[in-house]
Amino acid sequence: MAEMDAVHDAHNEHPTTTIREYLLIGLVLSVITAIELVMSLYTTALGAILIPGLLIFSAIKFIIVVAMFMHLKFDSIRFTQIFAFGFVLAASLLTAVVVLFGIDASDAIGGGFIGDPIEHHD
Amino acid sequence: MATATDGVGAVQAEQSKVWEWLTTVDHKKIGTMYGLTGFTYFLISGLTALAIRTQLAVPNGNVLSAELYNQFFTMHALMMIFMAIMPMGASFFNFFIPLQIGARDVAFPRLNALSYWVFLSGSLILFSSFFLGGAPDAGWFAYAPLTDSEYSVGSGLDFYCVGLIILGLSSLMASLNFAVTILNMRAPGMTMMRLPVYMWMTLIVSFLLILSLPIVTVALALLYFDRNFATNFFTPETGGDPILWQHLFWLFGHPEVYVLILPSMGIVSEVIPVFSRKPLFGYSAIVFAGAAIGVLGFGVWAHHMFTTGLGTVPTLVFTATTMGIGVPTGVKIFNWLSTMYGGSIRFTTSMYFAVSFIAMFTIGGISGVMHASPAVDSQHQDTYFVVAHIHYVLFGGAIMGIFSGIFYWWPKLTGRFLSETMGKWSFWMMFTGMNLTFFPMHFLGVSGMPRRIYTYDEGFGWDDWNMVATMGSYLLGVSILIFLVNVFRTMRQPATAPDNPWDAPTLEWATSSPPPEHDFDVIPEVHSSVPLWTNREMGIVTPEAPEGLHIHLPPPSYMPLILAIGVGLIAVGLLAHLALVGIGVAIATYGVWGWSIEPTD
Amino acid sequence: MSAATHETEHHTSLGVDNRKLLMWIFLASECLFFGSLLSTYLIFKGESLSGPGTDIFAFEITSISTFVLLMSSLSMVLAVYGAQHGQLGLMKLMLLITILLGLTFLGFQVYEFKTFASEGLTLSTNQFGASFFVLTGTHGCHVGVGVIYLTSLLISSVRRNGIGKETPLYIDIGGLYWHFVDIVWIVLFTVVYLIPAY
Repeated sequence: MAEMDAVHDAHNEHPTTTIREYLLIGLVLSVITAIELVMSLYTTALGAILIPGLLIFSAIKFIIVVAMFMHLKFDSIRFTQIFAFGFVLAASLLTAVVVLFGIDASDAIGGGFIGDPIEHHD
Repeated sequence: MATATDGVGAVQAEQSKVWEWLTTVDHKKIGTMYGLTGFTYFLISGLTALAIRTQLAVPNGNVLSAELYNQFFTMHALMMIFMAIMPMGASFFNFFIPLQIGARDVAFPRLNALSYWVFLSGSLILFSSFFLGGAPDAGWFAYAPLTDSEYSVGSGLDFYCVGLIILGLSSLMASLNFAVTILNMRAPGMTMMRLPVYMWMTLIVSFLLILSLPIVTVALALLYFDRNFATNFFTPETGGDPILWQHLFWLFGHPEVYVLILPSMGIVSEVIPVFSRKPLFGYSAIVFAGAAIGVLGFGVWAHHMFTTGLGTVPTLVFTATTMGIGVPTGVKIFNWLSTMYGGSIRFTTSMYFAVSFIAMFTIGGISGVMHASPAVDSQHQDTYFVVAHIHYVLFGGAIMGIFSGIFYWWPKLTGRFLSETMGKWSFWMMFTGMNLTFFPMHFLGVSGMPRRIYTYDEGFGWDDWNMVATMGSYLLGVSILIFLVNVFRTMRQPATAPDNPWDAPTLEWATSSPPPEHDFDVIPEVHSSVPLWTNREMGIVTPEAPEGLHIHLPPPSYMPLILAIGVGLIAVGLLAHLALVGIGVAIATYGVWGWSIEPTD
Repeated sequence: MSAATHETEHHTSLGVDNRKLLMWIFLASECLFFGSLLSTYLIFKGESLSGPGTDIFAFEITSISTFVLLMSSLSMVLAVYGAQHGQLGLMKLMLLITILLGLTFLGFQVYEFKTFASEGLTLSTNQFGASFFVLTGTHGCHVGVGVIYLTSLLISSVRRNGIGKETPLYIDIGGLYWHFVDIVWIVLFTVVYLIPAY
């Protein structure tokens, strides 16, 4: 094993997570999924907090998997930077496209300079 | 008998030569293949452009039919962008990434070979559409719903979808390879802020492609589904949305514009300091400007869509970002000018092209920023003004930059100098020709001549300028002919170029011309962003090669070729018969399997 | 593995392995890929002109398959753990479990698609059908590629019957791909299945 360790640089050590901790993380992920499922059954009761709640839980699961299972917490910061750049770019660009589709521009002619400012959100 | 044996021997030598190139994983050979293929498509695409200009020379021209005209202008753009400028860029990337960062090859040599073979198969598929029922004819941006199977009946648009997905796959693999190489394989001492500017631009281009190609892949796949599997993503009658195509396409299409221009910006950033005998003015400013262009390039796509009616606030936002992206571009232009200011300038052909790049690109850049104004944009939309703009950016910018690089690096590539006299002839003809061709298009555009019309009536006041533009395009053709003669004559001369004929500062000039297969005898250590100039001033020479030098090189492999044939067959299958897809998958699987078990030591 | 190669691996400019760096950059690219598909789905959500809409979802099936994929991530990380700590048996067992869980997920997806088709929702039924099938189908293809990928890792580890010097790295990189496919599903499950249509 000594030879194997030599291949890895100081900041490229194996993560110190134990099997027990991995199992615990798996349990946490399952519980969050169960909570999400229950939430989705009570759409009317939860009202306005339903969608933000679901998105937050989804984000928590996402971060746990990326940080612990994909070892970003332990690995080189470069990996986190590269992946975060791609993810943030994807999220912002594609949110922008969805938002652009939500804007009612039917009164705007030729680039939207004629007509009222957008108050007709739908 | 003896002659027969000789003949057999020669044939075998010939075969092994071919086999050597088919199985090569050497970045220089792959770069050469990219360059030759790209330049061939450049010539073919140039011929389609000449045909288009001939058709438009006089009112009611009848050289091309309307159908053929549509195919020609579409394929002219597709070939120039995806099969000429990008591969010529990839050719330089291949050749000079390892040489400029001081590495012995790219990070993944076999992946590099695979990128080329996939590019070749994709480009052949797209090009073959001319002979298989008609090429794509809906413009390179293929706006829906014209591309729907109802309005584009032939298979041209299927070739468009499949061909571009394959070409995109090739670019993605190449870009991943280049990005890893530049990030991770630099010579000792070569920090990021000591990288040659060309390498910075290559890195930015790689990331632009890595992050934008998946978007257009989705768009093309959806279009393919629309045309072949009766979905309705882009057809309005059944709930689809043609604007979605425009968003997805331009989310890729605008970064793609920077993919085409940034390599040339990198080339002139190498050429101008060398021929001004001055380090680049404001190195970090140019690097950050390049990075800013890369990031902002993702935030301006909707300026192509002002006339679709985005709404007031989005229009203002995209106006602002579009004007904003002019700032880093301007920073670069002033940096190049300041580099030349006070320098002792040598007017070589390469420098001519580099300086005219700045001038022509500035004209193209300014006419581009004009379109940041939605009012102006609405006026110019779909007129020849836009054609003038993109050709000032892509011909005056990208192509001029590539020619500057060709004349600059030719001694390193081949060990021979291109003739300066003929080079200057082709420069002046190209410079005059391109301005004669494309400047009148501004006037034509403002007086209302629409793009993509295959003919026009007399009496609109377009006749004279069209004739001028056509004459200019012939002059361009002559300049390319002179360049070809120059190349052929040069290649018949002995290779006598010294290691560093231009007294340039970057590492590719620290090895022989042309470089040995292992690039460097000893990987040089780098102490500044102009290593060879630092060495010259401080009296440090690159270390001598030790006795009995043995450098381990990756062995050749034919698996990339097999995998590429598999990918090509899958693509052909998507166009012809699904059974071929199965065969393609089988061959590709064999290729991947052979790839993964084959020894790389 | 010659000494020279070993040397170069040790001294990469960023101090990380080339192959791992390639995988992470590729995954960044994949974010844009799935992002485009997801935004297409969201744009067409509620734009259905005819035929079934999101009320066609069967939550029991999808919940089970989601759980299956989540657990496959757990077994995958344990396979990586086995490879990194020299526990060959654990590694092989966990790889096998991951592959089986992946296949189970695919089985559920095929079943789901078949059920939807029999209830009248196909690619060409409406915008919802088209974007739903393309989005989740693409994810399914990624799971399929992952299954083949992990199978090849398992076969090669059985063939050499031991942990080579590079095995932990290969399993680790394979794991990165697999976990990515899982986090894509984490997002898809919430956005496509759980958040109701309006």
